[in-house]
Amino acid sequence: MYGCVLEGWEKMTDTHVAPPKKAAAAPQPDEPKNTALARAALLLLRGRTLVVLVLLIIIFSSISSEYLTQSNLILMTKHVAINAILAIGVTFVILTGGIDLSVGSIAGLASMVAGGLLFKGFDMPGGTVFFSVAVVILIGIVVGALVGAVNGVLITRFKVAPFIATLGMLYVARGAAQLHSDGGTYPDLAGTEARGNTGFGFIGVDSILGIPVAVWIMVVVAAAAIIVTTKTPFGKRIFAVGGNERAAVLSGIRVNRIKIAVYVISGACAALAGLLLTSELGAAYPDTATTYELNAIAAAVLGGTALAGGRGTIIGTVMGAFVIGFLSDGLVLVGVSTFWQSVVKGAVIVFAVITEQAQQRLQSNLTKRTA
Amino acid sequence: MPEILEARNISKNYGGVRALKDVTFTAYRGKVNVLVGENGAGKSTLMKILSGSEQPTSGEILLEGEPVQLGSPRDAQARGIGIIHQELSLFPNMTIAENLFAGRELRKGSRFVDAAGQRRQAREVLQRLGQDRLDPGTLVGDLPIGQQQLVEIGRVLLTDVRVLIMDEPTSALSNHEVDVLFDVMGDLRRDDVTVIYISHKLDEFRRIGDWVTVFRDGSLVAHESMSRTDTGWIVRQMVGRDPDSLYVRNSSPVGDVLLDVRGLTVPGTVKVDDVSLTVRAGEVVGIYGLMGAGRTELVETLMGMRKASAGEVAIKGKPEPKGTVQARMAAGLALVPEDRQRDGLVQTMSVRENILLATLARMTRGGLLNGGAEQRTAKDKVGELAIKIPGLGALVTALSGGNQQKVVLARALLTDPVVLLLDEPTRGIDVGAKSQIASLMADLAAQGFGVLFISSELAEVMAMADRVLVMARGRVTAEFTAENVTEEALVSASASESVLEAAK
Amino acid sequence: MKYLPSRRALLAVGAASVLALAACGGGDDEGSSGSGESAAPAASKLVVIITPSPDNVFFKAEQDAAAAQAKKLGYETLVLSHDDDPTKQSQQFDTAISRKAAAIILDNAGADASVTAIQRAKDANIPTFLIDREINKTGVAVAQIVSNNAQGAGLGGQEFAKLMGNKGEYAELTGKPTDTNAGVRSKGYHGILDQYPDLKMVAQQSANWDQAEALQKTQTILQAHPNIKGIIAGNDTMALGAWAAVQAAKKDIVVVGFDGSPDVVSSIQKKAIKATVLQPASKIAEMAVDQADAYIKAGGKTDQPEKQSIDCVLVNPDNADSVKNFAVEGS
Repeated sequence: MYGCVLEGWEKMTDTHVAPPKKAAAAPQPDEPKNTALARAALLLLRGRTLVVLVLLIIIFSSISSEYLTQSNLILMTKHVAINAILAIGVTFVILTGGIDLSVGSIAGLASMVAGGLLFKGFDMPGGTVFFSVAVVILIGIVVGALVGAVNGVLITRFKVAPFIATLGMLYVARGAAQLHSDGGTYPDLAGTEARGNTGFGFIGVDSILGIPVAVWIMVVVAAAAIIVTTKTPFGKRIFAVGGNERAAVLSGIRVNRIKIAVYVISGACAALAGLLLTSELGAAYPDTATTYELNAIAAAVLGGTALAGGRGTIIGTVMGAFVIGFLSDGLVLVGVSTFWQSVVKGAVIVFAVITEQAQQRLQSNLTKRTA
Repeated sequence: MPEILEARNISKNYGGVRALKDVTFTAYRGKVNVLVGENGAGKSTLMKILSGSEQPTSGEILLEGEPVQLGSPRDAQARGIGIIHQELSLFPNMTIAENLFAGRELRKGSRFVDAAGQRRQAREVLQRLGQDRLDPGTLVGDLPIGQQQLVEIGRVLLTDVRVLIMDEPTSALSNHEVDVLFDVMGDLRRDDVTVIYISHKLDEFRRIGDWVTVFRDGSLVAHESMSRTDTGWIVRQMVGRDPDSLYVRNSSPVGDVLLDVRGLTVPGTVKVDDVSLTVRAGEVVGIYGLMGAGRTELVETLMGMRKASAGEVAIKGKPEPKGTVQARMAAGLALVPEDRQRDGLVQTMSVRENILLATLARMTRGGLLNGGAEQRTAKDKVGELAIKIPGLGALVTALSGGNQQKVVLARALLTDPVVLLLDEPTRGIDVGAKSQIASLMADLAAQGFGVLFISSELAEVMAMADRVLVMARGRVTAEFTAENVTEEALVSASASESVLEAAK
Repeated sequence: MKYLPSRRALLAVGAASVLALAACGGGDDEGSSGSGESAAPAASKLVVIITPSPDNVFFKAEQDAAAAQAKKLGYETLVLSHDDDPTKQSQQFDTAISRKAAAIILDNAGADASVTAIQRAKDANIPTFLIDREINKTGVAVAQIVSNNAQGAGLGGQEFAKLMGNKGEYAELTGKPTDTNAGVRSKGYHGILDQYPDLKMVAQQSANWDQAEALQKTQTILQAHPNIKGIIAGNDTMALGAWAAVQAAKKDIVVVGFDGSPDVVSSIQKKAIKATVLQPASKIAEMAVDQADAYIKAGGKTDQPEKQSIDCVLVNPDNADSVKNFAVEGS
């Protein structure tokens, strides 16, 4: 959301520094109060995820002294990490105007593939082979990316609507996860020295400098995603495809490639999230991350990503994941019942969409005024 | 002369911008009052105020001498003021009859829609609009854009209007449809309906208008009976300079063949049928024709957006067989599309991002975008094409039509094309911007580009093109040079196929 | 079959009803040629087994045990999973009816939502034998064989109190709130635990039977209440999730589960999770199949009460080695 706020400033200053001679329509310094007020409201709306997050922290820390402790903040951030990584992947897809409902299932499938490789190895004609943890993680992510690629091909080559294609994949990938172990759980992923596959706990359990590895991974993924979306031609093309696909085609952008790429990214992120969850749990079960796709989409929407595509930020999505995570954990911490947790979460998401629309309205009004 | 609607000392401020400065405008009863002016001159703002969708910052509105408050479009409608917007507001998924009566359905009893009655009245309205053959049960989405515009006009005819505001209603109409519309306007005038007519098309409004009012920079600069004006006078008032400079004739020496098209054929509802043409360096070639003649389809196919079923395209003497957008772009073609909102602009992006969209890969350093290079490149193009913007970071939707068009042109030029394809480059932009686009095209030709442009305006295509090709039903039916082209020849060639045989 | 005239079949029904007891006793003779003696509803030799998702090892054990026992008795089997969706379960009942199943073994998808489907089967002369979960109506199913959750929870509660030394703070993870067993077990725990004034429950959260959710909720609970000495969970998957959180927090906390799943049993053997309550899933499933077989052979009669409750067994380090596949050997 900082990105959004800064962008807002940039736009505002851009408008202000426009030399008056350039256009008679340029705003004059004696700008009336209501416009200034509207601008302030817009700024507040743009930063609403941050505002909500701060409010949550204030409310919960006033109820429980444990909420704002360092260890709880670290723990909550760790819980956020999994949803944030899923949501970052989904944001790429939503920016192109698509949707990915299969991320929860992909996380489950990657979890089972990795769990199987660690627990019972890989059966080859010459005998069972055990891969090192690094290779297992890599294979898990590749599996997620491949499933994402299938989504992308279905959508671009076979013209299946993204909602339908990924809904189908939601079932297929979950089924594949269940088939992988015939429905069972891989209970022990610690590995053995003899097989050379110990250390899977590193990504989900261990910490570096007091910060969980999962949080570091989230930071790296988010940083990479921010750079990709804002600083690379690929990123700009994602926004262009979502903003106006026909204009993107005419600009020589290979729209189908971009689309396949975002589903691959989404699949890989989902797989990574599934692996983190599995590592932390020390066990892989086929229902891992069931319905997590909804949390991920909610985080993206909460963070200001427009479902129509073309508009949104990674930072916003991460903030959205923080709001959802800090809210859920806070409700558990103060002992609110499960039913109320659902009600509150749903209400916050709908509220976010309402404010998103208020922001759009205000923004277009202001744009008209300056035009 | 009885005035029906009067706007007195109207000013309108948007934030710090003064869109209207103390304007006093009078519309005469039973007359066609034409409003002209460049985009952003304040015409549309005044119309919004007169139709109730905006409130003036100061000033008053008098209807038949009585001061009135027009607080909403509904208020205005209740007082008999109707407006037809430039953008269509129809439901494509509903029939013509349903659209005509949307929101004020005829009732049978108190609950049920009188569908038969609606169809009957719809048929009458269509007849009045010269569309006797059109079935009121046709879905509006299936109509060509010109007929959709007529349906929009039909909606207003069904209400009891005393003052009808029309904001560029002819921009999507064919010549025949424009004739019909003008007949309708003549009828309205006889029925004592006052028409306020906004247009950019000089030749058109001179035919129909009784009074002309010229706006410039938010002020009313001239108000005159049409009979006492001429085109030159109007243009001078609008742009504040001489009309002879409106269209710049290209006079560059002609060089090698840059684009060579042989037997291009594209299947489809609007087809392209065995089209061959050439464009040379330094040459401005116009394609004239009616809507649906296959002109847009032709340039889209050249650009690789549609697949040709037969034919060859060579650029700079080299065949380009792949036919993808990327390949054609790399070979040296660039297209500025007709519908810039639909095909040209990414509305969610800034001016800078829109300008650089096609050439992002060149703006990188070590794989990452180089903000400095981006800013420089975009700024250079903005300066070169004299694009008026509030800032490079502003949303592209904040610009006027002409400036949006220049943004799309800037993007096309950045791809280093040798031949520019311009589909209706002056559509929906004001006279000043038109003249700028025309001189840009001449400049580009002088720099050695080949320019192929599509136009539906006779005056424009005759003034700007070195050569004119006429298309009808997917075929090139005639070809003229600047020396031997006449309006009559263009019109007849655009109406039939037989002209081709006659010309050969 | 074709040489068997229907009149003889009717006679056989009469004979079977008279000799119900005898038929019951000799129920396990060669099943494949036994159709002559079996009753009218048994138009086929198909036993349909419907359970929740075998994702959970408990239900898998249940499925496997029922299927194996049915095969042993000479039946064909059709194993389906309703994934706790009553609608899906209802459709599966339709399948069973259209295939003229001899009997249905069901671990149902809802105490109220399942009644009509079972009634429909009954109307089609197909007996249903419920295992593991009860329904809120009697006289519809032939038998409702469930483990005694209340008794089991009592055992678990007692062991938990003992492990806690009858004092200290603890947290409870409850199951899916819509599942009857979640409430029964929680009540059973509290029936014991609330008797100890020094045992204080500081947090109670539902983790919906889910392992990952249990992990995250336990982590948060441990944040709020760092002095927790014990966590009692409504099932084993949640106990495993809680244990992962305890391990990550490097704390010494008593974790007790419920089900007796192999993963938790092996955890007990490793001195990690302290105890669980074994539901004799395999035994219940086998009993249900046996009773179904007897019922079929007796021509639609049973000598067992409808409601049967099978006691649970506590599993702790003392007997963990003898537990296999939801059964304590020698019990």
